[in-house]
Amino acid sequence: MFTRHAIKQLSAYCNGELSAEQSQRVREHLLACARCRKQHDEIKLGVQLAEQLPMVSAPAEMWSEIERLLEQRSRKPMLQPRAPNPFSTFNLYRVAVYAAVLVVAVALAIAVRLYSSYRPTPSGPSWDVASLSGTIRVGGQRISNKGRLAVGETLETDSTSQAKISVGAIGEVLLDSNSRIRLLQARVTEHRLALDRGRLRAKISAPPKLFFVDTPSAQAIDLGCAYTLEVDDLGRSFLHVTAGWVELVRDNRQSYVPMGAMCQTRPGIGPGTPYFEDASSSFVRALEAFDFESGGEKAFQEVLNEARARDTFTLWHLLSRVEGDQRSRVLDKMIELVGLPRHVTRDGVMHLDQKMLATWKDELDSVWF
Amino acid sequence: MAALMEQLQIMSDLQTEADIIEACKEGDREAFHILFEEHKDRIYTIAFHYSGDESMARDVTQQVFLKLFTTIGQFRENSQFSTWLYRIVANACADEHRKRRRFVPFSPEIEVSKMTVKSSQEEAYHRRQVADSVSAAIAELTPKLRLPILLKYVEGLSYDEIAEALGISIGTVSSRLNRGHKMLARKLGHLRSEVAAGE
Repeated sequence: MFTRHAIKQLSAYCNGELSAEQSQRVREHLLACARCRKQHDEIKLGVQLAEQLPMVSAPAEMWSEIERLLEQRSRKPMLQPRAPNPFSTFNLYRVAVYAAVLVVAVALAIAVRLYSSYRPTPSGPSWDVASLSGTIRVGGQRISNKGRLAVGETLETDSTSQAKISVGAIGEVLLDSNSRIRLLQARVTEHRLALDRGRLRAKISAPPKLFFVDTPSAQAIDLGCAYTLEVDDLGRSFLHVTAGWVELVRDNRQSYVPMGAMCQTRPGIGPGTPYFEDASSSFVRALEAFDFESGGEKAFQEVLNEARARDTFTLWHLLSRVEGDQRSRVLDKMIELVGLPRHVTRDGVMHLDQKMLATWKDELDSVWF
Repeated sequence: MAALMEQLQIMSDLQTEADIIEACKEGDREAFHILFEEHKDRIYTIAFHYSGDESMARDVTQQVFLKLFTTIGQFRENSQFSTWLYRIVANACADEHRKRRRFVPFSPEIEVSKMTVKSSQEEAYHRRQVADSVSAAIAELTPKLRLPILLKYVEGLSYDEIAEALGISIGTVSSRLNRGHKMLARKLGHLRSEVAAGE
């Protein structure tokens, strides 16, 4: 039998903070105890009144004020110099303390300088980086274990080193030896780096179009995927997608590259026509010649001759990259290999009807994957 | 492709608070802004009702966000963000109150009159009057009783969370809320019928 008064528990009871068993006990006690019932009525009214408390909107200009203060803080040195009052013993004491702090700071700075692997944490947006082997260089400083890569800084590996970069909370990038990247942007809505040379392997688990890699000849846009991207000394890039899709873009030229496919890019030209990595070497060679080496009619005919049913993936991209007679021949080859689906007409494809091209592409999924 | 793009777009809308906090830790200004927009009104409301003064509410809100943005790197994912945030709010309120008390006696009765907002709508008028009276009565509570009430009714924190945010025991939270509720009821007993009518 619950005989103790329940006054101390009445707010928790009214606010629904008690367990079912505790609430039952309070309820039973209230039925029997006039004193607690009176207290309960009072507290219940207090709860009802407090629930009327109005919300107040923060002034609209608050964010700009806070941004301004943040800017000021980021520019302001941590210790503000003040004009000392030579007649104040308190100030003399402070000057002595500051001087001691300064001496220690200078000593520390020298020690830090000598210890070359140390690097201060950048104040702005930055990503975690770690050396997987050898010594890497971040912002010009050598790091043999962990560090931070800030926006605007460069990360380089040499012939013996490799690095791992955490792309915020959305994935990671492994940087192979003899590579160099620059961090261009580290925001929630845009994680962007530039691959100047070498090879990276990216694994991103985030919504599409949040992670970008700029190369000298195209921009790789993550559509939720994993891929390897390599840039050689001539600025050519080679994309190999191992999961999901990647979009390669330069000016008005786009290539959608799915898992198991590759795409090359060239400076001044942009992305070539993507192809599956199991295509024949003669098909790939002819495609390279057509895309990048002014291979002309000979290379074009070779691409058509060597195409398999699965290579209609490449031919589908070619449809919008060639015109007139060549488009007609690409279309004929595709019809020969896989046929024309319902609701897609020859005339529509020749006029690049986007709805028909999309329909055909959807139909071809079963051939490609 | 269209279906894939649509699905991916839906995914992009699902950004969790954890992602935003992580981005804030990396110094992402846009993430700060998202966090600010998410919490600004509730923090401002607490500061306003705590002080009964717009300028102090503004100062406290600014201080809270500056503190939040400069120390968010210390936040650990194993604790709850709202509790951590409202500890900052509680400290900022107490600091600002201490600071101002040195110069001007804290006088909520004077400030409370500023809260009265005239409404042209007859229907909203009585509700507004009750709300203003509650604001005034809360501003008259001692700071120790005021903060638990504000954290409970503005932010909706549980007793556990209030205890953690204020660094006190759950028993103390219960006791302070008991006293706060009783004082409100005694000050505003004449509004019983209006509150009951609104139920």
